Amino acid sequence: MTGHRSLGLIWRWPVLLAALSVFGLLAALIGQTGIWLPLSWIALTIPLAVAAICIVRSRTS
Amino acid sequence: MVTDMSGQAVFGERVYGRKPALRRWLFLHKWSSLICTLFLLLICITGLPLVLREEINGLLDDALPYAQVPEDTPNVDLDRLVEASRKLYPGETIVSVFVDDDEPKIMVYMASSWEAFSANRKALHSIRFDAHTGDVLKQTKPFGEDGLTFLQLMLTLHRDLFMGLPGELFLGAMALLFCAAIVSGIAIYGPFMRKLDFGTVRAARSRRLKWLDLHNLLGVVTLGWALVVGATGVINELSTPLFALWQQTDVRAMLAPMRGKPVPQVSEIASTQAAYDTVKAAFPDMITTSIAFPGSPFGSPFHYVVWTKGKEPLTSRLFSPVLVDARSGALVSAVTMPWYLRALELSRPLHFGDYGGMPLKIIWVLLDLVTIVVLGSGLYLWLVRSRAAKTQPQSAVGLPLPGAAE
Repeated sequence: MTGHRSLGLIWRWPVLLAALSVFGLLAALIGQTGIWLPLSWIALTIPLAVAAICIVRSRTS
Repeated sequence: MVTDMSGQAVFGERVYGRKPALRRWLFLHKWSSLICTLFLLLICITGLPLVLREEINGLLDDALPYAQVPEDTPNVDLDRLVEASRKLYPGETIVSVFVDDDEPKIMVYMASSWEAFSANRKALHSIRFDAHTGDVLKQTKPFGEDGLTFLQLMLTLHRDLFMGLPGELFLGAMALLFCAAIVSGIAIYGPFMRKLDFGTVRAARSRRLKWLDLHNLLGVVTLGWALVVGATGVINELSTPLFALWQQTDVRAMLAPMRGKPVPQVSEIASTQAAYDTVKAAFPDMITTSIAFPGSPFGSPFHYVVWTKGKEPLTSRLFSPVLVDARSGALVSAVTMPWYLRALELSRPLHFGDYGGMPLKIIWVLLDLVTIVVLGSGLYLWLVRSRAAKTQPQSAVGLPLPGAAE
């Protein structure tokens, strides 16, 4: 807990994950074929994976 | 920091205490969440099997299997199925016919009369025909008459709590509060994280602190999905009034020239198959899905309303009705849907998660489970905070707001 973090630092990850979520939701809806479906699955899985990594890290450290 | 509670109080004081705008966001987050949490938990839990409803339906389905036929076997004549249905239920009214474009299945929906159907949309029963042979594969009783199936129970608890339109509007309001809780959660997340790295979970300090961090982490990583599913949930709960609005404006205007003219009797009504073929020929780029019979409260007394949809991924979600004269079978007009019904149609897949194959459904289930954890942890944090506030009046006094940072 040192110093104050800037807005950019605080919001970097949340904004990236929210953008990925929205991209994933729309990619499957608009694309629905070819590469778009796997892209959607990956984009929507990343936020879950990030949360899982943070939790695992907190247990081991 | 003497105890966790007082430490939290100091933190709350420092971060939020002097900023009235933040205190308002905290207040909004606390109360919007508290009011909607129990209903949202119910919605999330009943939503889990609904994500997989096709699969569960397939497993529980006791219909006869489709006949094995050569690949280019044409569908049976719709008029034959209409006649067979009337023979099965003499004196009853055919409400609509649905031709599946996915499975060789044709559904005929019937009600005891138009009056009974107008009074209760659920007073509907169905006959499932094999599209190739015309054999009856399954018949259902009107909704609820034979006890609810598991999925009907889940859907009712998810959508209207057995209260019809008032229940839909109530749960819609709960979904709106859920969205308010997310937005206010975003507003207080920033100040809360000024001294913490993203993803910090202080697991060793105390159970409360651990769950506070988990609540923040899981809430913030799922906020994009949760906002979309929450907002589309609100729109879905408005479908009844939106359709009513459309009927009383556009549909009424469309039918105005016919007003006062004699309504066609069942014996006068043109061939269903012909109406279907007419629309199919006129709109070769569309898939014809269902036909609402003349007299339907969701249609017109003078027309067949033939519903069509596009063939592209996106346009297959958008349905457009085509009017066919009930007596002559002539094409009358294609109807342009208003923007609010287009929005409703697009909000369906985004709420149901059924548009990206099995992996998307699994992701939907996982995100739903994470949301349950966020809701549950929020409730837990409020409970321990209010319990602590009672036993520790001093620290409660020191707080800018009970429930700060939740």
